[in-house]
Amino acid sequence: MATAANRPAGVNGLLKLDEITTYYGQMRILEAISLEVGSGELVCLLGGNASGKSTTLKTVLGIVRPRSGRVLLAGEDVTSWPVPQRIANGIAIVPENRRLFGDMTVRENLELGAVLGDGGTFAEDLGRVHELFPRLHERRNQLAGTLSGGEQQMVAMGRALMSRPRLLLMDEPSMGLSPALVQQNFRIIKEVHESGVSVLMVEQNATMALSIADRGYVLSTGQIVLEGPAPELLKSEDLKRAYLGR
Amino acid sequence: MTKFTQELVNGLTQGGLYALVALGYSMVYGVLKLLNFAHGDLYMVGAFVGYFVLQWFGGPTALAVPVPIVLLAMFLLAGGGVGALGVAIERFAYRPLRDAPRIAPLITALGVSFLLENTMLLLFGASYRDYNTSAFISFSTGIHIGALNIDIVRIMVIVLSVALMIGLRLLVSRTQLGRQMRAVASDREAAEMLGINVDYTISATFFLGSALAGIAGVMAGLVFNQIYTLMGFIIGLKAFTAAVVGGIGSIPGAMLGGFLIGIAEAFITGYVSSTYTNLIVFGILIAFMILRPSGLLGRVQLQKV
Amino acid sequence: MAVEPRDSPSVGVDEWVARSLERREYLPGWRGDVQRALEQVGWWPRLVVATAVGVFIPVVIGLNSFQTQVGIDALLLAILALGLNVSVGWAGLLDLGYVAFYGFGAYGYALLSSNQLNPPGGIHWPAYFSIPLVMIGAAILGLLVGLPSRRLIGDYLAIVTLFFGEAFVEFTNNVAPSKLGGPNGIFALDPLHGAHVQITTPTGYFLVLLGLLVVSMAVLHMLDTSRMGRAWRAVREDPLAASAMTVPVNRVKLMAFAFGAMIAAMAGTIFAAQQTSVFPTDFDTPYLILIYAGLILGGAGSMSGAVLGGLLVSIVLDGFLRSPTQSSYIFYGVILVTLCVKLRPWTRVAFVVGGTIVFGFVMHAIVAAFSSSAVAGTSGAHSWIDLHWAIVPANPVTFGNICFVALLCLVVALVQVPGRWRTMLLIPTLYVAACAWEARLSQVPATTRLLLLGAILIVVMAWRPSGLLGARRVEIV
Repeated sequence: MATAANRPAGVNGLLKLDEITTYYGQMRILEAISLEVGSGELVCLLGGNASGKSTTLKTVLGIVRPRSGRVLLAGEDVTSWPVPQRIANGIAIVPENRRLFGDMTVRENLELGAVLGDGGTFAEDLGRVHELFPRLHERRNQLAGTLSGGEQQMVAMGRALMSRPRLLLMDEPSMGLSPALVQQNFRIIKEVHESGVSVLMVEQNATMALSIADRGYVLSTGQIVLEGPAPELLKSEDLKRAYLGR
Repeated sequence: MTKFTQELVNGLTQGGLYALVALGYSMVYGVLKLLNFAHGDLYMVGAFVGYFVLQWFGGPTALAVPVPIVLLAMFLLAGGGVGALGVAIERFAYRPLRDAPRIAPLITALGVSFLLENTMLLLFGASYRDYNTSAFISFSTGIHIGALNIDIVRIMVIVLSVALMIGLRLLVSRTQLGRQMRAVASDREAAEMLGINVDYTISATFFLGSALAGIAGVMAGLVFNQIYTLMGFIIGLKAFTAAVVGGIGSIPGAMLGGFLIGIAEAFITGYVSSTYTNLIVFGILIAFMILRPSGLLGRVQLQKV
Repeated sequence: MAVEPRDSPSVGVDEWVARSLERREYLPGWRGDVQRALEQVGWWPRLVVATAVGVFIPVVIGLNSFQTQVGIDALLLAILALGLNVSVGWAGLLDLGYVAFYGFGAYGYALLSSNQLNPPGGIHWPAYFSIPLVMIGAAILGLLVGLPSRRLIGDYLAIVTLFFGEAFVEFTNNVAPSKLGGPNGIFALDPLHGAHVQITTPTGYFLVLLGLLVVSMAVLHMLDTSRMGRAWRAVREDPLAASAMTVPVNRVKLMAFAFGAMIAAMAGTIFAAQQTSVFPTDFDTPYLILIYAGLILGGAGSMSGAVLGGLLVSIVLDGFLRSPTQSSYIFYGVILVTLCVKLRPWTRVAFVVGGTIVFGFVMHAIVAAFSSSAVAGTSGAHSWIDLHWAIVPANPVTFGNICFVALLCLVVALVQVPGRWRTMLLIPTLYVAACAWEARLSQVPATTRLLLLGAILIVVMAWRPSGLLGARRVEIV
């Protein structure tokens, strides 16, 4: 079903994982994963616990090195690049559980998001983030750890956007948030995506994620078991099977 | 009253040394969550570097250049040399263990400590060496009021250690490097995910912490004159305690802890008994740790539920 | 639609866990088969075999007095590492005051088996009475020292216990010198005696220690596989989750301290009886580090690891590194083995070893051509290293020191440079190491053995952070 023909145009674009296999010690976590994110796409990666979703994102960012396979960014092989170089070339991540620096101020957190920049565009970037999240401007001198969950999520998003990413990686954006906040959060993701940033999002909440995504992949114990356009996956019986076993 | 002031000055001098060493402990603990047992030995190496710089300028009794230049060279070379040594130790011994179980780097640190102590023992022997400070800095300069004598070396040590601490505090709170150090300390993986060069930041932290220990070593040589290869162990223990008493990971905490322990020791030695100083200090510290484990300025760690 | 999921385990079974064995990677070839075969052998048969070997060595093969003493020290360290494993390896409580329990045991035995207390006759209780008494005392002390663990975790507990250890040394050094002997310690202790039996021969002590080691292992194994063992590990992994599962966390922690302390004190009593004297310095931090080295090198959390690590550290350090000749065997042997294990393929090993030999002769010839006194010295180890190879000047101290510093720099450099250069750099590094060894290190075994201990700790931790037999933990993401 998921043939090249029914993928959106421009899919052969931004990010491509080619047969990635990753081990932690003696344990195989990912088994020959291949996936793509075209420029302008919002792709979600679904799967249950310990299926290798976060490891996939870490492999894209370069924190985890695959044992075999390639990571291509805009056609360039970045498999051996260190993390800072990848970030400088347009990847940014909103980590699982947000991972803010709780005892630093909101502004310091945002400054650390732009740590690789030369400072020349700092004011502009900060302005852009403040425009997207006016709340962060109000709270700029407050310690990040004292913010509410929703505000923290904004800081995490803003921090990632400070480096002007082409590809935003989102690791479980709904985790630990109330349903109302999850709704709000997904609206923000959609908004960021519509402003021209490609997104690769890892989620457990399949329905929610697929409702805003263009395409989706389903991981199960380190293998991609299902892939396709989001509307088709939503209807698919196989998705339920992949989640629940048979 | 004179005795009180005298002991206070002694305590402040000793406390300044503890505080400088404690700062390094605290910084390294901050970024790596590692009790760097080798830190006290860096202090010892610093004392030796200072000693050999002094010899190179002609020795304490026949200095070829003005004393301030000699002192500056001693501090700079000890600080820079020991800082570089700290960086080398981190790269060689601790870096491979970033993701290992917590106890592994602890054991490596013990190994590094053994290696440093015994290398110095091999190279320079077990005998004491003497800075002989009074030969080139006259004891009579300084403050003398009646029976109270505060010599210039002690004043210099106190002033310099406070100045270094303030400088470090500014560096950590105001500069980009300081921000990166704090980011790595609070969540290394998150820092890495933002593109912060974690290796560089940790190296810089080791350099600063080790340099402070090296400078403290020179100060110890100047104040107490005698240096030897095993002088690092006990100060390492006390300085670590100072870091913990102040609240580990906190820079003002390390300073406060260092001065408090130094002063407490001086008063116990001066007014109670010198035989039992260590026993009493250890007892107080155990009680303190049990009553207030997060230290004076440390934040109570909330357990995630 | 895309790939079919593989046959899944039934609903309710965690797939990752159910399949974890399939995903385990074994060593390639026959080594993998050996790995699998060894995993099949049960725990009790292994203990029986190990015990038989332990009895076989002194009784059938026979050991000279030096070797027996090394064996006794090794068994002591093994027992201590075993006890430390309870609190550190199983319960995850970093106890840096552990050596004080050993000291407590030794001093306890000393006071109950000498003229120190109740003069002039003193107290001379039989061992079957005094040792259990001392062990109970140690267990109570362990409970007291463990009390802070109710509130403190990790490094904070480590530092409090470290103070306790230091305080013990200060205490025995300074308090009540007429009873505890101060720095001079306590002399003239009774050997192990009771029920008309008296143990005086070193072989006797060897067998006593072996018996105690085996009994401790058996008891601890039963504990480990009981509720208590599971509770310890649960507390180590996640105290909060453990308490939610109704594990009495604080009581479990205290039990770990008490058990560790009892075993240490038991070792201490035998130590005191065998050496018939005790000194404060026997129980100072360096010995603590040795116990930790044994435990960690063997693998914290694994009982056989702790015992093996303890034996290994003690035998290498006390057995081989004291004499220049034997330490030379160890030195060159370890280098060769490391090269063979770490360098692949074997042609590179051959290249490095051959290159080093040639390099040595060339360097020796060049130096000899300039100055004959620069190569006039004799090798300190009197070993089988040909003197036309390593450079040993007539006055070797300064040269040896320079070589040693150069060696440290080269080793650090070696880690930094990339692949091919590393092989090239290895040749002068090995040669400098040999020169430093012949000219200086082999002459001062007391310093060298500690240097080597430090180096071994660093290298083994970098190579296998979880120790030789410790299980590597995998975090599931």
